[in-house]
Amino acid sequence: MTDQSDLRHLPEAIAVPRQRMRVSAVWIIPILAALVALGIAIQRVWSEGPTITIVFDAAPGIEAGKTFVKYKDVKIGQVTAVQLSEEPGKVEVRAKIARSAARLMVEDAQFWVVRPRIGLSEISGLATLLSGNYIGFEAGTSNNERRSFTGLEVPRIVSANAPGREFLLKASDVRWSSAGAPVYYRRVPVGQVVAYDLAPDGKAVDVKLFINAPYDRYVSSETRFWDVSGLDISLDTSGVELRSTSLEALIGGGVAFDTPASADQPAPAVDGTPFTLYRDRTTAMRHPDAIATPYVLHFGESLQGLAVGAPVTFLGIPAGEVTEVGLSYDPATLEVRPRVVIILYADRLLEKLPSNQQAAVQQLNQDMKKGRAVLQRLVEKRGLRAQLRSANLLTGKRYVALDYFANAPASRLDLRREPLELPVVVGTMPDFEAKLASLLAKLDGLPLESIGADLKNALETLDQTMKNVDKTLPAVQTTLEEARRAIASVDRLATNADTTLVGPNAPAQQELRDALQEVTAAARALRVLADSIERHPESLIRGRADNQ
Amino acid sequence: MLSRSAGVVPSPCARCGAGLASRRPNSIQRTWALAIAAAICYVPANLLPVLTTQTLASSRSDTILSGVAALYTSGSWPLALIVLIASVMIPLGKLAALAYLLISVRRGSANGTRDRTRLYRMIELIGRWSMLDVFVVAFVVALIQFQPVMASQPGPGLPFFAAVVVLTMLATTSFDPRLLWDAAHD
Repeated sequence: MTDQSDLRHLPEAIAVPRQRMRVSAVWIIPILAALVALGIAIQRVWSEGPTITIVFDAAPGIEAGKTFVKYKDVKIGQVTAVQLSEEPGKVEVRAKIARSAARLMVEDAQFWVVRPRIGLSEISGLATLLSGNYIGFEAGTSNNERRSFTGLEVPRIVSANAPGREFLLKASDVRWSSAGAPVYYRRVPVGQVVAYDLAPDGKAVDVKLFINAPYDRYVSSETRFWDVSGLDISLDTSGVELRSTSLEALIGGGVAFDTPASADQPAPAVDGTPFTLYRDRTTAMRHPDAIATPYVLHFGESLQGLAVGAPVTFLGIPAGEVTEVGLSYDPATLEVRPRVVIILYADRLLEKLPSNQQAAVQQLNQDMKKGRAVLQRLVEKRGLRAQLRSANLLTGKRYVALDYFANAPASRLDLRREPLELPVVVGTMPDFEAKLASLLAKLDGLPLESIGADLKNALETLDQTMKNVDKTLPAVQTTLEEARRAIASVDRLATNADTTLVGPNAPAQQELRDALQEVTAAARALRVLADSIERHPESLIRGRADNQ
Repeated sequence: MLSRSAGVVPSPCARCGAGLASRRPNSIQRTWALAIAAAICYVPANLLPVLTTQTLASSRSDTILSGVAALYTSGSWPLALIVLIASVMIPLGKLAALAYLLISVRRGSANGTRDRTRLYRMIELIGRWSMLDVFVVAFVVALIQFQPVMASQPGPGLPFFAAVVVLTMLATTSFDPRLLWDAAHD
């Protein structure tokens, strides 16, 4: 029914277009993406640290992208390139440093390659066995930034800002094998030898020590340092002396120091002033004698066994030393005599006096005339004489003793001579020889044969007695037998323990050795695994490609 | 009551209330926006590392391209090719194709409409396969965790890569293929 024409009368729907936003909200997405990407880019650029170059003599185990720069064991950078330097024979390593560490790259910063080092005093860098070598870093104190450095060939031993102080020593030679040797104070390790090198003139060795705080305050201007390397064997009048600080120092060497007790108010050590490194403790601690008076002695006997440095005793107390052993020729009498020059240190004797008498004797030292008068009295009235004595029969070493000989032939002290000549008496050695000879003669005269016969009789009687004892005490014997068995079993036990625990092929040893070998093999396998995984990371998923 | 059709009148469905439209609304603008966002994300997705592997000896971060290079140098070139195609070429190709379609619509070009439609269908089909990389990284990170000998972590490039894939898929769906035929009908 409805006609086509009817449509025209129908009301027409009019679309009212909504007021559209010309820009769709969807554009927020690209803007957001752009912002995030930009933010990340800015953050990347911002956190980008500087790239530095370090020149090394060699770059063992340093690989681009794998080797890190570490400061206090914290990664502060990564090596980006290793190449030959323009400088011939050198290697240039480029490393990107984290921004946080950028301000540490100053003029006096130091770099070195850390690799495993096995020394006597320590084993260091073991971690690098697995992780590969890395570059160690030590911050400097300068404010001037720098981007190119020269690497150290020897790693720094002590961190620059470790608390403590550095001291400089001069030595004639050194006996240790490497820097890092310990420094002892009263046998306590308190520091290390940081470095040593020949002095610029080649005539001495400059040694740098680092002594950790708080021990560095024990070093004063009076402190003496000495070498404790190796074994100190000294053969002198007091016999054979054998000294070693520790097994470590015995092999690896070391330095010890101490301050003589006489330095009661030691001034603190001044920075930069070199100390002397003495050969041994005795030399180091030798008293700095203020008053040394030389005397000359003309002995009438051979000076065999008397050496320069031999001690001089006064009434048995060490008082000085022999400084010269020689001859003297008297043109008037055409006589050649042995001549010995000794030096007496008055201070050493002064120390032995009770404190209330020291002042009085000190005055004698000051007043030369009075002092000599005392000496003259001692020589002329009490019979003070010098005598050569044998210190050690075995070594034949001799020393000079000043002693009172009441019945010595009278002698005068010529005060005008310089140095003073002290009178002498014949030494003990020839005396001893004569006595020995007479002793031998007496021994010769002994009726040895009849003594021997008597001895035989006596022994026979003793034998008889013993037999009796044997008979009367069988019980003792059984007891002893039991005891012997018990001891034997203990002995067996001990032998067993020996072989199982400490013998060369003892099971415990064997197992330990095996275990160590196992550990070594495991470490090697691990390294191989790590390497192969690194080279073929996909092998973890796909397995190993067999065609390779 | 009857009324004549008045062209595009967006109105909700009487039953479910969903928005109805005879054409996908605002198609061109929306597609452009999403495609551009994807293109922006494509840059960090390729520059930033997507995977960081740590072994005892070292740690290395790989971007997609360096991963491809590593695969190629280690001899597995088919794998390298797959990763290159799936992760670098396809997203790029999709973006280029979308841009081409959008520009051709804007120009009102009537040539090769059938081919362009086919191209569109292909983009739509491929889209879902582009997440391959993300899945691989997810698997690797989950599987390779042998602390402390070996471990792997996703890198910052990965979310960007996922964003590229998602955004291109959204851009593809928001594109209305009928627009291609408008010029042909006129």
